[in-house]
Amino acid sequence: MIALNNSKTWKFSSYVIALVLMVPVLVMLVGGISASTQLFAHLWQTVLPTYLENTLLLAFGVVMLALIFGVFSAALITQTNIVFKKQLRWLLLLPLAMPAYLVAYLYTDLFDYAGPVQRSLRSWFGWQSPNDYWFFDIRTLPGAALMLALVLFPYIYMLTRGAFEQQDQNLIRASRLLGLTAKQSFFKVALPLARPAIAVAASLVLMETLADFATVQYFAVNTLTTAIYDTWLGYGDLGAANALASVLMLLVLFVVLAEQRSRAGLRHQSARPNLSRELIQLSFSQQVIGSIFCWALVIFGFLLPISLLIVMAVQYSDVAQLSVLISTGINSLKISVIAATVAVLIALSLGLYQRLHSDKFRHIPQHISGFGYAVPGTVLAMAMLSTLGPLDHWLNDLAVLLGFSPPGLILSGSIFAIIFALVVRFSAIANGTIVSAIKQIPQSLDYAPASLGVNLTGSLTRVHLPILTPAILVAWLLVFVEAMKELPAVLLLRPFNFETLSSQIYQLISDEMLEQGALGAIMIVLFGLLPIVLLNKSKEKV
Amino acid sequence: MTALLTIQQLSITLQDNVVLSELDLSLNKGDILGLVGASGCGKTTLLNAIAGFSKPSHGKIVIDELLLSDDSCCVPAEDRQVGMIFQDYALFPHLTVYENIAFGISKLSKAEQKQQIDQLLTILKLKEYSDSYIHQLSGGQQQRVAIARALAPKPKLLLLDEPFSNIDARLRNELMVEIRQLLKQFDMTAIFVTHNKDEVFTFADKMAVMAQGKLLQFDTPSVICQYPNSYQVADFLQLGSWLPCHLDAKGAQSLLGRLALDNNSLEPHKLAYLLVKPAQLLLNTVVAEDHIANAQVDYISVTEQGYHYYLSSLESAVTDKALSFSKLSLYSDSVLSLKQQVSVSVKPHKFLFFNKSN
Repeated sequence: MIALNNSKTWKFSSYVIALVLMVPVLVMLVGGISASTQLFAHLWQTVLPTYLENTLLLAFGVVMLALIFGVFSAALITQTNIVFKKQLRWLLLLPLAMPAYLVAYLYTDLFDYAGPVQRSLRSWFGWQSPNDYWFFDIRTLPGAALMLALVLFPYIYMLTRGAFEQQDQNLIRASRLLGLTAKQSFFKVALPLARPAIAVAASLVLMETLADFATVQYFAVNTLTTAIYDTWLGYGDLGAANALASVLMLLVLFVVLAEQRSRAGLRHQSARPNLSRELIQLSFSQQVIGSIFCWALVIFGFLLPISLLIVMAVQYSDVAQLSVLISTGINSLKISVIAATVAVLIALSLGLYQRLHSDKFRHIPQHISGFGYAVPGTVLAMAMLSTLGPLDHWLNDLAVLLGFSPPGLILSGSIFAIIFALVVRFSAIANGTIVSAIKQIPQSLDYAPASLGVNLTGSLTRVHLPILTPAILVAWLLVFVEAMKELPAVLLLRPFNFETLSSQIYQLISDEMLEQGALGAIMIVLFGLLPIVLLNKSKEKV
Repeated sequence: MTALLTIQQLSITLQDNVVLSELDLSLNKGDILGLVGASGCGKTTLLNAIAGFSKPSHGKIVIDELLLSDDSCCVPAEDRQVGMIFQDYALFPHLTVYENIAFGISKLSKAEQKQQIDQLLTILKLKEYSDSYIHQLSGGQQQRVAIARALAPKPKLLLLDEPFSNIDARLRNELMVEIRQLLKQFDMTAIFVTHNKDEVFTFADKMAVMAQGKLLQFDTPSVICQYPNSYQVADFLQLGSWLPCHLDAKGAQSLLGRLALDNNSLEPHKLAYLLVKPAQLLLNTVVAEDHIANAQVDYISVTEQGYHYYLSSLESAVTDKALSFSKLSLYSDSVLSLKQQVSVSVKPHKFLFFNKSN
């Protein structure tokens, strides 16, 4: 069939959009890699090995812990008869709404030397000083890994659970008929079949870990992200910051490649998932242990921290706090609404371009625009600074040359830079939702309007857009929430005196005064719950 | 009577593959044409070219004296007045039955739309479903909506892409008769694509058999059935089974005996294949002196017309390897057993010989 459209304007603008989204990262990479070898040598002799080592150790620790948490809980929920299964099934998703830095702060507060846990222990056992007993120190690299794993494991849980539930039950039945017990067939068939999904989930966790800034910063664990932040804001050294960001970017690229490879294995899934599953029957004590394991994840990953926040909010809320909350909330809303709207418009335009245009390489703009998701916020911020900064100077020079007064840093010094960064980072989310919705429209619906005498514009406004409306709303909401939560890019790019909910909370955490922002923190968690509810609902429908 | 649709020298090449080559076809107003062929033979591409969804590399398409496509011009699909019923019906899931039918006539006034849609709803027995959404309808009802929607803009030509493939086999025949009557009522010219010859026999006035981008034969179904013009056509339509023969000046020699020919137009001294329809094969009940066994039973199945046997040549009787046969269909009420040796002969009739190559 011929494609329905070959508009040159559409083609041109699609490639321009994709390119614009890509350019800052490219500029930064080129700048970083072509940075003087002297600079690299200096970094290598001083801090880079430590940063790299910490980053890699942290990544390894988080992935291992998250795998243990996620795969075990998914297996318990889908394959066994543990108690409270129905509730745990969705409760286990909730930690995803909890920013790691909040959990980190709350648990430090709780388990520190001066915190309530150690205080009670001391009074119970009559210990006098830290020399009398051993207690784990949470503000360490393993502690950071645990904090991150506690809130990131639901990625692994969710995708692994999905993989188990989508598996062709006839394969399991066949293995049973060939003489395997339920348990054996889980280990020999179900688990190996779920491997690609687990690998994809693990790489998502890895990407989130590499992008994390606030947790490690708070725990004073020096990783590449904190190094970029300090190098730029502390020493104002754009070149070195760029170089570090490039190193981080290369690490992320490896993860992206690994993820793509694992994704290729995902197509082995599906077929008859709806046949009833035979469960592994656990003994009562095993059921209890399994259930406790899952409950512990839910409690430590979500219920306990949210309760602590609520207690704080009740104890410390006042009018002043509320007015700060409102003003930062409005800032957050402003950037998130704009970013979500722009990202959705881009995703729609590129998604429909891919579907309807005759261009042989019509999938390329859409693919390029999705790349930004892998770029950590700190790296993205450096990319914006190294692209928009020079652009601003050039604009000012131009204005002066033309006899106008210089406009100042209109790009790099305004919320434009933040929104740009958010759009680059979260376009992939909007893309994913909208492209998969477009794929579900049967190809014949593209052609039916023409057979009824209706042209492409009519087809888009009367068929495609109405059918896509639910997906457009979901995509918008997902980007909106992610933008509300994004921290490092906002921290590095926000104009002077511009605070968002997340940057405000981060400041308070740094100053050990989260009590004053507890309400805002609860808001962030509540926003974070929205996509989980949505995701869970769409999963239930399948 | 001038033709409503004329196709001349139509060729389509997709990514260096010749999908259609030098195809000629013409259709009168009110004719229903059934297009058959194996999958990948180009029949759907031909429909798409007529609808304007595929661009011909060469050739001409004219409908109602209006040039739609030639080497220099190509009228866009939406301006062709050609309706299409898609294989999956392509009904709009976000619109009701009424709104689906109204889709192509939105330029008419509301009153005109209503009058026209009401008429279609009545004829297609969809009145009570007017406000239903598509997913609330059965497959047959969905198909009727697709037909109503396609007929509403009053197209000059209606294309149907495998319209009955999603319909339950039991309902299919009934539905075909119903839709044929409907198209005749509207005096609609239509082309439908299928890979099932029985659908053509039930539904169409004209039949076109396609293979590898070429039109093999184009005629009424009964003519094609009686006089297939090539081995390929007869074989694809499964009009009978094949008996290899050696032709000479006076007749043909086969393992089932000699066949006398009145006039032989085929080249002598060559291997040819006789098309044997089940009714033309005779089971000789008594194995007597002049009825020596010449075949054996390979396969037995039960049909509503009695037993269906596949016969193959007896190894001992094969004098010339080229003449050995297999899968010769025989319908009979007699009970035979597997591997049983039988004697069969071909009834004298107007023999149809074919060469495999053409």
